[in-house]
Amino acid sequence: MTVTPSLVSIVDDDESVRESLPDLVRQFGFAAEAFASAEAFLSSQFVNQTTCLIIDIAMPGMSGPDLQRELANRRQTIPIVFITASGDKTIRSRLLAQGATECLFKPFSETALLDALNMALRMG
Amino acid sequence: MDTSLESATDEAARLRTCLNDLISIMALPALWAGGEPPHIVGTLMDALVGTLRLAFVIVRFNDPEGGHSIEMVRVSESWGGPARAREISAAIDSAMGEAPQNWPSRVRVSIRDVELSVASARLGLDGELGAVATGSQRFDFPAETERLLLDVAANQAAIGLQQARLLSEQTRRANESERESRLIVDNIPGLVALLSATGYVEVVNRQLLEYFGQTLEELRQWGTNGTVHPDDLPHVVEVFTKSIASGTPYEIVQRLRRGDGVYRWIQNSGFPLRDTKGQIARWCVLLTDIDDRKRAEAELRRAYNSFADAQRLSKTGSFITDLVGDDHNWSEEAYRIFEFEPATKVTVQRVRDVIHPDDLPAFESVIARGMTGVNVNFAFRIVTGSGAAKHVRGVAHVVERVAGRPMFVGALQDVTETKVAEEALNRAGAELAHVSRITTLSALTASIAHEVNQPLSGIITNAGTCLRMLDAIPPNIDGARETARRTIRDGNRASDVVARLRALFSKREFTLEPLDLNEAAREVMALTSNDLQRNRIALHSELAEDLPVVTGDRVQLQQVILNLLRNASDAMVDVDDRPRELVIRTEREDGSRVRLTVRDAGVGLAPQSLESLFDAFYTTKSGGMGIGLFVSRSIIERHHGRLWAEPNDAGPGATFSFSIPQKADGVLNTVPARKTS
Repeated sequence: MTVTPSLVSIVDDDESVRESLPDLVRQFGFAAEAFASAEAFLSSQFVNQTTCLIIDIAMPGMSGPDLQRELANRRQTIPIVFITASGDKTIRSRLLAQGATECLFKPFSETALLDALNMALRMG
Repeated sequence: MDTSLESATDEAARLRTCLNDLISIMALPALWAGGEPPHIVGTLMDALVGTLRLAFVIVRFNDPEGGHSIEMVRVSESWGGPARAREISAAIDSAMGEAPQNWPSRVRVSIRDVELSVASARLGLDGELGAVATGSQRFDFPAETERLLLDVAANQAAIGLQQARLLSEQTRRANESERESRLIVDNIPGLVALLSATGYVEVVNRQLLEYFGQTLEELRQWGTNGTVHPDDLPHVVEVFTKSIASGTPYEIVQRLRRGDGVYRWIQNSGFPLRDTKGQIARWCVLLTDIDDRKRAEAELRRAYNSFADAQRLSKTGSFITDLVGDDHNWSEEAYRIFEFEPATKVTVQRVRDVIHPDDLPAFESVIARGMTGVNVNFAFRIVTGSGAAKHVRGVAHVVERVAGRPMFVGALQDVTETKVAEEALNRAGAELAHVSRITTLSALTASIAHEVNQPLSGIITNAGTCLRMLDAIPPNIDGARETARRTIRDGNRASDVVARLRALFSKREFTLEPLDLNEAAREVMALTSNDLQRNRIALHSELAEDLPVVTGDRVQLQQVILNLLRNASDAMVDVDDRPRELVIRTEREDGSRVRLTVRDAGVGLAPQSLESLFDAFYTTKSGGMGIGLFVSRSIIERHHGRLWAEPNDAGPGATFSFSIPQKADGVLNTVPARKTS
């Protein structure tokens, strides 16, 4: 019996994140897909299969929180881990209050990411 | 018996007559008193002819005025009257000699065959005044009583003549002195009057007559004819009367009517002239027209009052100072600002005593600079005797040099009210500036953090992945190589971010224009002067006068100057043991370059920090970002110049300098020159 690894989808406009983060997530034993924008993710076939979302907050076009709201509108309850390069620490509590699993500030350690993913999957 | 009785009766009758004659002769002086010699002699002769029943009487006397002798002759009518005077005179000459003092006392003279007895008497002890000769037809002339009468009469006449001579001498002298006085009085360039001891106007000089256009007679009516201004008359009369009565000099300033009918202000001074016995002989009165002077004084007073008003209203005092000689001339308002008693002698020490202790270093620095003879600006607080704290600011300019010492003319202003308002405004402004700086800073920090965090995030993720791939069994070498490659790429990205940051700070288009570095510096100083003052920093500028025009970006160069001044100011914030002095200097350098130097007396520089000073994010300040010098250096480098720092040679603090070429060659060619007016 084949166990299909949980799919972690990553949405970030920053190319280096799209290149590096999926590799690390796969090293954790998850499946990973990267998207350059919220729009690209929503129009993809992976929305329903995704068990956890890693979303950059500040993106051109639809932002991370915009995507969170859109998913809620679509009744898609995917656990979300936000990542951001911003230094504004106040943003975290706001996002958590709106239902996010975690908010990580770049640069974050791999442990912090793994803990967040595990928590998200438990919640899911 | 009858004969003897008769002769005794005759004798008595003769004696009575003689006595009567004697009495009338003794009364002669009353007749001639104060008279001229001819009058005296004439009276004498008439008396003699009458009493002695003479044929003639002849008197020769020396004229006291001229010295030559005068002869007067009376001839009785029975002897032919005045017509025979010359004949008789000649007969006397031949019988008695020409010189009267040598005339014999009695001779017989024959005139036209008539024998006459002639008796003479000298006038004066030795006949120095002359002599009188009397002729009678009587053989026994003169009888004893007649001789007595003749001698007494001659004696009386001599006294009379002598008195007349004295009187004439006095008159002559008096006339002489009168002439001299007259001469002096008429030549005095003023109005002079001589009054009697009782205040009666005796003489006035020509100028006075001309001035008042009145005659002496009219002037004598000065008390009633409107010469004295009616308003002044009671006072003048009172002072004048008192002074004449007491014999003390007076001085009155009053209005008198000039010839043209205009009342003019006159200074009237009178003082007594005393004779040798100390008695007041006359009063001398000097009148001086002070109307113009009084008008000028009033004008001056008005001008001064309005000047003083202006000073009081603007709370601005002025002063003239010989700093080296410590000699100061202050206006009233300057005294008022410092609350010095008007009689106080102002000295540097006296001023130093009221300077607020915190501002003493700044004060000393201004005094020291002033001593060298340069213009100074100053601003300090004083604590006056009443305990009031005031903000005083001002300027002093060298206007001339006296014996090598600079003479300053300056103004000082009490700016306490402005200052208090300004301080409130400044506090508000500073708070606002601080808030906006913080806001800008946080925005900037966020932007920098975002820019740097992105590649950092990549580096950490890739490095982590890389390690995991290598640790896997079997190790994923290709994957590891790929992630390592990405790590390097993200490292480069981080470095690019820093480069972009540099560009960010000079985002404005680089604009070259000819500019006066001094003027640019002055603008920056004006911008920062409030900040500096608040931090009690004394800013001195030593801007070279021969500085050539340079080509550069005015705004960017001003940013550099501003940055250097801020750094210098910040470096002195904790300095309390020495003046917080900041000197900004410009100078021409060899090879057509100009240099601007900012020297502080702050904490100075550690030698090892000299190089890292200009690195981005290097800072010694707790609140600083360390971008200022980094950006400044990049601006100066764009001008093909150099920015450097060095510790001060003597004393604490540091000096930052930049040097730029007059023409930023190369750059000039790449940017089209702006139109300049």
